[in-house]
Order: sequence, then structure tokens, then C-alpha cells
Amino acid sequence: MSAPGGGGAYSFSLTTFSPSGKLVQIEHALAAVSGGQTSLGIKAKNGVVLATEKKTPSPLVDDSSLEKVAMICPNIGFVYAGMGPDYRVLVAKARKIAQSYWKVYGEYPPVKVLVADVAAVMQKATQSGGVRPYGISLLVCGWDNHRGQSLYQIDPSGSFWAWKASAIGKNMSNAKTFLEKRYSDDISLEDAIHTALLTLKEGFEGEMTEKTIEIGIASVPTAEQMEVKSGERLPATFRKLSEAEVRDYLAL
Amino acid sequence: MGSPMEMNGGSVIAMTGKDCVAIASDLRLGQQAVGLSADFEKVFPINNQLYVGLPGFATDTYTLREHLRFRVNMYRMKEEREITPKTFAHLLSSTLYEKRFGPYFIEPVIAGIPAPSAIDPDPKPFICNMDTIGCITTPKDFVVAGTATDKLYGVAEGLWEPDLEPEDLFETISQTLLAAVDRDCISGWGAVVHVITKDKIITRHLKGRMD
Amino acid sequence: MPEAIQHRFDPYSSNGGSILAIAGKDFAVVAGDTRQSEGYSIQSRYQKKVFPLTSKAILAVNGFAADGNNFVKRVKQRLEWYTHAHNKEMPIKSIARLIQTMLYARRMFPYYVYNVLAGIEEDDGTGAVYSFDPVGSYERETCRAAGAAQSLLQPFLDNQIYFRNHTPAPGQPPFDPSTHPLSTVLSILVDSFSSATERHIEVGDFLEGYVILSPGRTSDDLIGEGVKGVLPEGMTVEEQDPEDLDVQSAVAGKGCRVFLVRKELKRD
Repeated sequence: MSAPGGGGAYSFSLTTFSPSGKLVQIEHALAAVSGGQTSLGIKAKNGVVLATEKKTPSPLVDDSSLEKVAMICPNIGFVYAGMGPDYRVLVAKARKIAQSYWKVYGEYPPVKVLVADVAAVMQKATQSGGVRPYGISLLVCGWDNHRGQSLYQIDPSGSFWAWKASAIGKNMSNAKTFLEKRYSDDISLEDAIHTALLTLKEGFEGEMTEKTIEIGIASVPTAEQMEVKSGERLPATFRKLSEAEVRDYLAL
Repeated sequence: MGSPMEMNGGSVIAMTGKDCVAIASDLRLGQQAVGLSADFEKVFPINNQLYVGLPGFATDTYTLREHLRFRVNMYRMKEEREITPKTFAHLLSSTLYEKRFGPYFIEPVIAGIPAPSAIDPDPKPFICNMDTIGCITTPKDFVVAGTATDKLYGVAEGLWEPDLEPEDLFETISQTLLAAVDRDCISGWGAVVHVITKDKIITRHLKGRMD
Repeated sequence: MPEAIQHRFDPYSSNGGSILAIAGKDFAVVAGDTRQSEGYSIQSRYQKKVFPLTSKAILAVNGFAADGNNFVKRVKQRLEWYTHAHNKEMPIKSIARLIQTMLYARRMFPYYVYNVLAGIEEDDGTGAVYSFDPVGSYERETCRAAGAAQSLLQPFLDNQIYFRNHTPAPGQPPFDPSTHPLSTVLSILVDSFSSATERHIEVGDFLEGYVILSPGRTSDDLIGEGVKGVLPEGMTVEEQDPEDLDVQSAVAGKGCRVFLVRKELKRD
């Protein structure tokens, strides 16, 4: 008996291992990621950048409603490759996780802790009945007092790693090769933003504009910025670049 | 039976100094007017640089201490770091507020020195206290709690001064605590004082009036 | 059937504030704040509760202000009768016993008042403080705090006046609470009330009291040129003319000098 989709007997239930030790539904989820638009992240000396291409299937789509880089909490941002709806669900869950953490500890989670919690959500979808894995990989960037700036990738299986630079989606292999050549440990955030755009440019179909590119940055704050003042919130260390800012970077 | 807050007796105080903090408690455990034990410490270490005092209802002192041990151990493993005094204060505060309508009868006092970090290489000493449902206050000078609260406020207000060195801070907090608990029937029976500095903890047991 | 309505006679209230007295070797100091409150309302920022009785005895009353005022009035009346009968002022020791008798007379409907009597002993000229509970139990002490902030003040006095939990250095004589100089006592008085004002809502506005000096004692450490930097900052001292004191000046005992001391406290 075989389920539709050509996965053979072992694609019937995602919680059933194939004899080779694989969960083929996860493989399929990774395939969905590989088909998605390219996203990448670079960790710099004084921050992290996330960048993604944002192409609409038709010129009739109102692109002002599309958002691919998302702030989760003031120190953490996400970008993805894969299925948009799954991403939005995970963003909502991640924001909830961050706020729950704030409720208990009076501060937002360190990047690694949020990554581990979101990864646990994704892992659960590989082991529970009646659900399918999330069809996305995430790039997570942020800053925290404990580890400083950091960049993580989370896959549909729930595995996660820290990167100096990484790319996910359609063009990931080429992009990674490009990043390997371009990356240096003492790269500045400004240079990293340019490198990110250059990397996206490789294999970009169509024109790169502020409408077809999204950028988010996490930056390292100064001690003064992190000083607690009564009645004031700490400033965000993650922010999205405005269209005007993206346009300026593209013009350079 | 009376209020649980006055059932067992006991008091805690914490004070700031120059690059140091001190926290101290009496040692009495009683059942109303009857003294039961003279080695009931109400201040517990959370980590090398952080102590919490849990005066109030003795059974809640134990319960909360164990609960906090659990939460802080989980935190340490999950976050791969020590909890800072401020974060611990929020953790304790939210723990207490969870029991908003059936509270622990404890008024916690926290004292510690945060570990230096890249962003804050020279962190300031931290003290705070909170009510039974976790409302935090963080004064600059000192915090008190327990059945000798009024007396502790009166003496501390008179004796405390800013920027005391560890040994002077020890003397100030000790005199304050002893003077206060000697006027409180259900606090006293000796005391323990911890002075936390950047590189060490000084713990001393004080002999006090046994009446 | 209509509900039974209960009426209860509750003639007492508490008007806050605190009083404090300290006895020295050859002087006594007694003072109180001047705030009078009921509940969370301040009724007056300047209402006396420290009253000269004779040229060497001052009475501070704290608790229910109406009872306090009436009690002082009646004590003064008894002292006047005494003067008429004996042509002399009543010694402080006897005033203390009189106050006990008057308080205990109302054992079943007490004056809701804590009394602290301070002055100079007639026989040896030492400073004296007598403290009472509302029904007349009393003792002579070196110092006493009473009133709303008693719990804040008394342990501080234990530490600073009685040297409780202090150990003299090896070879040194034991501490003696009666040897404090006047300047030290006045600083402790002011510090005590500043602390109580800081932490107790019913204490504040003004500190007002009296210093009584034993006959022949110098006043150089209280009034004149040499006291700058010795007296607490902001404290004013005025010598009281026995004529101005509301006492039987005609028979005033010779030698004791009374000084009115005042200092502003925080008003919040």
C-alpha cells in the first residue's frame, strides 16, 4: 500500500522511519525549502545582517503587504526559505515564546535560547500524529548580553546550528560558495550588508530594488544604550532596514 | 492561629556598600512565642555572587527555596550561564505572582553582584525586596523584611551610610540586625551575615541575646 | 422585624507622632515632633506635646491628643495645689509617683496616653527620664522613645545610648550610658527623628523639645559662640525665662536652666 506522492510505503506516516533511517517527510520538507526564494545571513564584527529576495509571482500583487524579514523581539529577527504560511505560523509562535520569556525574566531571551525553543516546536512536528513538518528553514539573527551577536539556522527537522554566514533556498549552494570566498572574521556590518547584496545578486532573476529585497540587521549596542533608565525601555538591537535605506545600499 | 507571617518569626536585611553587598538573617525558628530552633538560616546562596533571604512562614521558606533551586538549575543548564541578580529577581517575582490568590507567605530579599560582561564591565551591587506576591522594589541603600521590619527600618535609617567598605558594611549590618531583633520577641537567637564582594564571600555567624 | 442596630461607644483615637527623652549626667533632653494626625489626614503641623511642668521637669505626652492635653492640665493643677500647700516645687521623683497615681485612678477608663517625664533629680542633680504606660506602670531610665515610631526609635537608642551589642576594646572600661556629652545626645535625638520622619508617615514637620541643665552646669556646649559645628545643623536653641514658662515661677527652684530646642523636619 502506498500513499500518493511517490514516497513509497514509508511516506505514509511521517513518524515512521524508512529502513535507511530516514523520515522521508522531512526530506520532502527540505525539498520545499530548496525550492524557496534565497535568504542569507552574515555575522559581522559589530552585528549581523539578514537578507532575502522578495519576488512576487505577478506584477499585480501588492508587495507592500509582503514581509519576509520579521522582528521576533527587540533583539532577534527571522528570515526564511520555503512555505510562507508555515513561516508566519512559526513567527507567531516565536513571538509568543519571546514574550513568555519576558514575563518570567523581565528581559528578552538570548538568541540561542529562543532558537532552541523554536527548534523544539519544529521538532515536535516531526514526531506528533496528524501533523506535517514545517516546510521552512529559518535564519535567526540577534544580539544578547551573554553571547553577543549571533546567527543560527533551523531546519524542518528541528536541528539548528550557529553560522558565521549561511544561505538557504533555491540558490543556497552557489550563495554559500560565494560567501565562503568573501567572508572574513573581521568584516564590519556595513561590509556585510554589501556582501549580502552582492551574494543575492548572483543568480538573481530580474531587477534588485528596494521592493524586491528585504534586509534586517542586529547591531551591538554600547554600554550606555543598555543602561536601564526608569520608565524607559531598552532600545531594540534588531531592526529592519527601510526601503529608502535598502535603495541607498543598492545604489552604492 | 494568627497570621502565617508572624507564626514562626524571623527577619532579614540587605545593604549595599562600595563594590559590595551584605545580607543577613536571624537564626530563630519558633511556633508563635515558643522558640524551637536557633539554627534556622533564612538566607540561601543562589550562586557565587547571589543570595536570597526568605523570611516569613517557615514551611514556605523551604518550599520556595527548593522551587528556586529547581528553576535556577534549569536556567543554568538551558542558558549555559549563571543567572544575574536582576533576572533572578524577576524569576522570583513571577513565581510569587503565579500564586496571586493563594500566596507564599514570604517577603523575599535579594542581594548580589552581577558578573561583569562586555557591555557592563563594572556592574553595580544589586539589592531588592518584594512583597508576598512579587512586587519588586530596588532601593539604593538597604532593604528589610520579616517580623522586625519596623525596627530594622528605624536602625538602618540611622546607621547606614553610602560607600561602606566590606568590613564597615559588615559592622553596620550586624549592629542594625542585632539592635532590631533584640526588640522583637520572635526574631533573634543569633544571626548570620554574608558580605558579598567581587572576589569573595565573607560569612560570619553572630552570637546574640538568647531571650 | 427591624434589624437590631448596635451602638458602640468608642471615645478613643490615636493621633500619631512620637516623643523621645534622654538623660545625661547633669542634663536631660526631651522632645517630640509636632505633627498631629488622624488616620491618613494631618490635622496640624504644629501641635505641642512636650510641656514644662516645673523649672526642672518637663512632660511629653503621646497617644490620644485630647486625653494628653487634659492629663497635662490636671497634672499642672495638682502641681499648683502642691505649691500652695508646701511653698516649693514638687521634685521630679514625686511628680513621677503622682502621675502613676493619677493614671491608675483611671484604671478602668484610662487616659490613652504614653507619658515620658524628663528633668533634673532634686537630690543629686542628675538627669532623669521616667516613662509610663497608660495605666501608670513606670520606671526611671536613661532613655525612652514612645509613640507611633517607638519601634523605629527605641532599637536605635539601644544601640547608640545603651551601647547594646558593643564590646569595649580590651583593657577599656565598660561603656556607661550616662556619660554621653550633650552634643552627642542632641545629634542622636535629631538623627532618630530624621530617620523616623523618613520612614513613618505620622512623624514629621517640626522637632520641638527642651534641654534642662543641672544647677551650675555650663551652657557653653548649647548656646553662644562655641556651639557652631557642635549642635546639629538647623537646630535653634532659646533659653527660657522662668517667667515665660507656664510654671509656678515664684517658687522656682534655683539653678536649673531650661532651653527650648527646635528643628525643622521633612513635611512629606
